[in-house]
Amino acid sequence: MVKEQEFLMELWTHFPDMLQDLQEHVRNQYVATIPREVLPAVVKHAVKQLGARFVITVATDMRQKTGDYRISYILAFDKQKKFLVLQSAVPPDDMKITSVTPDIPAAGWAEREAFDVMGIVPVGHPDPRRLILPDDFPQGVHPLRREFAYNEIFPQEQNMPPRKPAPEGTTVVPLGPFYPTLEEPAYFRLFLDGERVVGSDYRGFYNHRAVEKLGDSELNYNQIPFVAQQICGICGQVHSCAYAQAVEDACGIETPIRAKYIRSLLLELERIHSHLLWVGLAGHIIGFDTILMQAWRIREPVMWLMERVTGNRKHYSSNLIGGVRFDIDETAAEDIRRVMDKVEQELKAVVDAISIDTTLMARLKGVGILTEEDARAIGVVGPVARGSNVPIDCRVDHPYAAYEYLDVQIQVQDGCDSWARTMVRVLELFESIRLVRKILDDMPGGPVMAKVDHELPSGRIGLCSVEAARGESHHYVLTGDENRPYRWRVRAPTYPNLQAVGVMIMGLELADVPISIGSYDPCFSCTERVETLDVNTKEIRIYTREELEEMCKRKTWEKE
Amino acid sequence: MFKAKLKEAVICFGAGRVTLKYPFEPVKVPPKFRGKIEFDARKCIGCGGCANVCPPRCIVIEDVGEIAKITFYLDRCIQCARCYEVCPEKAIWPTDEFETATPDKSDLRSDMTIWMSTCQRCGRCFETENAIDKFPSKRWRGRGPGEENKHGIFPVKPPIEFVQRMSLVRESEEKI
Ligand code: SF4
Ligand code: SF4
Repeated sequence: MVKEQEFLMELWTHFPDMLQDLQEHVRNQYVATIPREVLPAVVKHAVKQLGARFVITVATDMRQKTGDYRISYILAFDKQKKFLVLQSAVPPDDMKITSVTPDIPAAGWAEREAFDVMGIVPVGHPDPRRLILPDDFPQGVHPLRREFAYNEIFPQEQNMPPRKPAPEGTTVVPLGPFYPTLEEPAYFRLFLDGERVVGSDYRGFYNHRAVEKLGDSELNYNQIPFVAQQICGICGQVHSCAYAQAVEDACGIETPIRAKYIRSLLLELERIHSHLLWVGLAGHIIGFDTILMQAWRIREPVMWLMERVTGNRKHYSSNLIGGVRFDIDETAAEDIRRVMDKVEQELKAVVDAISIDTTLMARLKGVGILTEEDARAIGVVGPVARGSNVPIDCRVDHPYAAYEYLDVQIQVQDGCDSWARTMVRVLELFESIRLVRKILDDMPGGPVMAKVDHELPSGRIGLCSVEAARGESHHYVLTGDENRPYRWRVRAPTYPNLQAVGVMIMGLELADVPISIGSYDPCFSCTERVETLDVNTKEIRIYTREELEEMCKRKTWEKE
Repeated sequence: MFKAKLKEAVICFGAGRVTLKYPFEPVKVPPKFRGKIEFDARKCIGCGGCANVCPPRCIVIEDVGEIAKITFYLDRCIQCARCYEVCPEKAIWPTDEFETATPDKSDLRSDMTIWMSTCQRCGRCFETENAIDKFPSKRWRGRGPGEENKHGIFPVKPPIEFVQRMSLVRESEEKI
């Protein structure tokens, strides 16, 4: 076997009887069906010994096809540029799997979700609470099973939300439950000892929009890209691209090369405006509004550019299965070049100024530490991982669209703190500008849409990771009949990154928490309000948004 | 420290005025802009292509014998431009309009009614002889009863209506 497949050889020698039907599926994807009993052992071996990265688990209701449920663990071998899907049948009368979370913390949420949506019980999970369903959802109803209609609603039930008990002698500070700039409202319960965070608990997924259910049961292949792009208000192109490429991979559709270049171009432009947005928000969180104003001023021409080129500021609606819907002509290319020159020049001036700003450094350096081991164990992605010295970037590791021709440089910093993550984003901005120019120079001619006039085959698996501004976005598609996927699974980059927050904010002061949480995610601007409850006196105090902002700003002034 | 502040001040002063006086001065949209859609009942042949591709399903066609009633729920429209991409007659097109905020949702609903002819042989309603052939996608198979769901076509359903499931079948849930 060639060197790239050594990891498979090793897995094979360890589990010779189990990996019988391991098959290369598409160029960089392997699928193996193995018995449920050995699944955790194989996953563990792959992650611990062979250096795989846990991506996500997918629970599928295969009862119409095979009579069983199916659980798939997706692993990424970044060095070898391969994905491995390990799937097992789970019989309906005994829906148990052994949890791998005790050894691989990255799988914690994914396994909780498998229970929520499909009812597959991860035995031995350290934290088996509900994750994505509301606490008053009826017991025994699992929304991604096939018999559950997409438009059902349920009578409300009351049961106590299972909460993590606060450690003895600490104050509980609920941070949330609604963050206006995140798509899903997020609710952090912080356990404080004085001003220091000694623990935390997260509850999110308040605003579940059932896109996966719609994709499985209502929309057709070519409608999903438009719904996928609405998953995120910033990385719309990322999601629709990842979905379209997953289906193309699964069905063997050859996308024209020009379409691939256009996808990369839009992705890079999206990264530029997303990072600029984040730089502004980060400044705003710590009360340094000059950065907010200047970063957003630089960002605006990019948004106008997108409107001119694609027809909309944010939702480009560019992807269909087989290619893109519009071409980039010479005038558009000229526009893009001009805006890039302007952005680069202005960005340089701003970065020049803020990179020697000691106030900013005092607020960001050493704040929100996520060590390299933690980053690897929790499986964080994107600038959070690269700021912790983990050089993963799926533009390089699992090239898609036109990235195999583009020679992307991964930007890594080893500071492991908020400053390192900021620096990663700033460096990526310049890298993206370089890539946009290269794409425009190299873009070949030809059609932008492949001809798809046959019915798409059913029962194929397609995976695609796309590097969004915040990290790796992963889409899994199992094709089905009736012109729609049988199962569509989306894992957004914030999903693994949020799991790291507990570690990241441990030991911080309360005033540093907003920027630490903000530093992993560009979509976090302000906390609406904070309520503190003194466990001893039962006294409740509500901090308004202004007060919390005031607290953060005061700290900045003190440092100055 | 001081140097950084000085540099920041230079940037701020150099920027000049960047805000637009938007509601008081109109904003011009670029030529490719995808705005609110408009339609022409005289051109439409009632083929149903737009309703079939619309992702949020905001175009609904009801067949009432010889009349096809097409309703546009523009409050749900995501401006994806699929409908006017597939319309064989260019009966739908985008406008420059993007100010669709309104206190009354019904401002954004509109419908058109099309008279269809009836085929003497099979009894189906149609507009002109070649209406269906004009539809660009070969995978489109018509929207008569029993013809749906074949190749990329789905029965046109109304926008999502929630059904309340009152009797719940409970399974005994195992404790983890
Ligand atoms: S633009 Fe898109 S969402 Fe709006 S009516 Fe047309 S197809 Fe539907
Ligand atoms: S696609 Fe055009 S012609 Fe066909 S129903 Fe829609 S508007 Fe009418």
